[in-house]
Amino acid sequence: MSAVALPPFWSLVETHGAELLVHARRIAGDDHGEDVLQDALLRALRAYPRLRHADHLRAWLYRVTTTTALDHHRSRRREVLSAEPPGTAVEPEHYDDAFETLIEELPDGARAALRLRFVDDLDYDGIARRLGCSAVAARQRVSTAIRTLRTQGIAA
Amino acid sequence: MTLPADLLDKIASAAVREGLADAVYTRLDTPIGRLLVVQGPRGVARIGFEGESVDALLAQVAAGLGPRIIASDRELAATRDVLSAYFEGADERLDVPVDLALVRSPFRRAALALLHDEVGPGDVVTYGALAARIGHPRAARAVGSACATNPIPLVVPCHRVVPGSGGVGSYGGGPDIKRRLLALEGAAPRSRTRRSRSSG
Repeated sequence: MSAVALPPFWSLVETHGAELLVHARRIAGDDHGEDVLQDALLRALRAYPRLRHADHLRAWLYRVTTTTALDHHRSRRREVLSAEPPGTAVEPEHYDDAFETLIEELPDGARAALRLRFVDDLDYDGIARRLGCSAVAARQRVSTAIRTLRTQGIAA
Repeated sequence: MTLPADLLDKIASAAVREGLADAVYTRLDTPIGRLLVVQGPRGVARIGFEGESVDALLAQVAAGLGPRIIASDRELAATRDVLSAYFEGADERLDVPVDLALVRSPFRRAALALLHDEVGPGDVVTYGALAARIGHPRAARAVGSACATNPIPLVVPCHRVVPGSGGVGSYGGGPDIKRRLLALEGAAPRSRTRRSRSSG
C-alpha cells in the first residue's frame, strides 16, 4: 500500500499505452516495440508503489519506456556482436542506415535524443516529454550530442 | 486509441505471473447488468453493479489493496465461470474465495463473514436474526449498515438479509435486483406483510 493516492495502474496503461507503444517502436524498432513495452510496464509496476507522488506519471512512463528500449537495444547489440563477425551489427531496419552509422559511437542517451530530434522530427518540448526531462535539458542533450559528433570529426 | 487486446492480455498475465498485481479486475455481463469484479491476492474483494462509477470503485480498491491494479478477463476466468454458472442457475453456491480486506470495521467484517459462511442459497435471514447470531441481538441497524456497505455483493449474500418488518428491504443494486436474486435462488417469497422499504 502506498502513502500517496496513485491511480489504478491499468488506467495509466489504458490512457497512455498506445502512445508508449509508438515510442517504444521508434526507439527499438517495429519488431521489438511490443516486447519493450511489456518489459517497460512490468518495470513500472515494480516501482509504482514506491513513487512518492502522483505527478507527471505520463512523463515517468515515457522515461521507463525509453530506458527499457535502450537496454533492449544494448543487449541485442551485444548478442549480435558476439554472434557475428565485427562490423555487421544490425540496427532497426526502419532507420536510415547512414544516420544510424553516424551516431553509432554515441552513448545510448545521446542517440535517443538525436533520433527524436532528427528521425522523429520532434521539437524540444516533444523530446522533453519523451525523455521525461525539461525542454532545456532536452535541448542540451541534443546539442551536446551534436558537439560530440563534431569533435569526432563526423558531423559538419 | 488503446493497445491491442492481445497485447494487453499478455502484459496483464505477465504482471500477475510475476506477482506484481495488487488486484485484478474484469467486467462481466449478467442478467442484472454489467458487473465489475475485483480480485485481490486472497480472493474476490469487490463487486460493483452497473451504474456504480468504475473510477471511484477502483480508487477505493487502490486505497485498500494497493495501486497495482490490472484488468484481465483471462486471469479471472475461474471467477467469471462461477458467476456465470450462478446466473444460469447451474450452481447457486458462488463458491469463490473472498477477501474482506476492504471492510475496515471489525464488527462489519464479522457480520459479513458470518453471512457469507452461514447463509446459503435459498435461505433468508432478518437483520435482527443476523445481529443475534454474531452476539449483538440489538444491533440490527448496525448489521444493516454492514450489508449496505458490503463490498462484495452476491458472493457475500446481503441480498439474503431482509427486514423483520417484511418486504425485501433496500439493496445496493436496487430492490428489484434483490427480488430477482432471491427468486433465482428459490427463496420463499415473504408476502405476509406489506412491501416495506425500511431498514437496510
